[in-house]
Amino acid sequence: MQLDEDQSLIRKTLGGDRRAFEELMRKYEKRIYGFVVRMVRNEETAVDLTQDFFIKIFTVLDKYNFEYKFSTWAYRICYNLVIDHIRKHQAQVDSLDDESVSARDLLASDNVCREDGFRALSRTETRDYVWRVVDQIPLKFRELILLRYIQNLKYEEIADITALPVGTVKNRIFKAKEILKQEMVKDGMLV
Amino acid sequence: MECLSDEILIAGNEGTLSPIEAARVRDHLLLCADCRRAAAAFRLLDSVLAQPVLHNPPERLIPQVMQRLFPALPRLTSIAAMIAASAVFLITWIYIYFDFSSSSLIQALRLTTDGTSGWLAGIIRGITLVYNGAQAATKALSALLRIFLPTPLGTAVAAVALLALGGLLAATFLRPRLKKAKAGRS
Repeated sequence: MQLDEDQSLIRKTLGGDRRAFEELMRKYEKRIYGFVVRMVRNEETAVDLTQDFFIKIFTVLDKYNFEYKFSTWAYRICYNLVIDHIRKHQAQVDSLDDESVSARDLLASDNVCREDGFRALSRTETRDYVWRVVDQIPLKFRELILLRYIQNLKYEEIADITALPVGTVKNRIFKAKEILKQEMVKDGMLV
Repeated sequence: MECLSDEILIAGNEGTLSPIEAARVRDHLLLCADCRRAAAAFRLLDSVLAQPVLHNPPERLIPQVMQRLFPALPRLTSIAAMIAASAVFLITWIYIYFDFSSSSLIQALRLTTDGTSGWLAGIIRGITLVYNGAQAATKALSALLRIFLPTPLGTAVAAVALLALGGLLAATFLRPRLKKAKAGRS
């Protein structure tokens, strides 16, 4: 069987090569941490969860089935870990909704010409703005946007990870985009 | 002419419409400025979302995972030091418990080595000196406790003194290590 890069690293790790596992972690740490931190919206918790994720991956690596993509398997474990944490600490996560910095604050502080909408912002500022709005949308929409765009997954893969029907995944992502557009209109970002 | 729904516009941008629906959307966009603006907004949104702002994980993240997965084994020197310390403690305890300083064997050894030289005599004299010192310290501590402990005030003074001693030792030996560990983490 032809092994891809991830699978070769897993084979080496299972053979006792620690460096191979470190390489595998380096490959995924940014996307995993990026996903987790936007889900829990707390950097320290995100570090702990990302570390727990890698340790969990290491302990169940011998159960990995080489017929499937490693990334999808890993993202499912990561998603379940984060969702379990959020369910256990629901009140804490909800309270963040009130405390988080609003996208309007960003606009107010950035001294931009709101009448001109996106044209007034640089590409980077636009990106920062949109992703700040993403941070504020409800979790059931946010998690799908993060899986789609941070983890770069297809609708079918997201459905597999979240155990939702593909139709529901699509609808929620559409709905999330509608919410984002509405927020942008409210903020005068779109003319 | 009825405007297109957001859902249709998003699906059009993603290319998931059937060819007939896609053609209908294209025709509508040619005629409707509002829908063109909305479609452009979704296109912009898609392009921005496709370039996510990723937070950089702290550098300590992976080293800490490796440390948790493969804890460092104690070094050979620390194992040797631990064994030596345990041996000294055990021998001291046996020496004091059985009062070997006055035993005939030790007395005989001391007499044998008194006035002699050589490495064996030196070792025996050294050990005797250390053990006598330890015994003297133990006796002094017992005497001190006998003075203080019968009264509540004495107990309190002894407790405070022990706490202060413990705090002093912790401050001297543990604090710099904790500081170093904390600095290493951050």
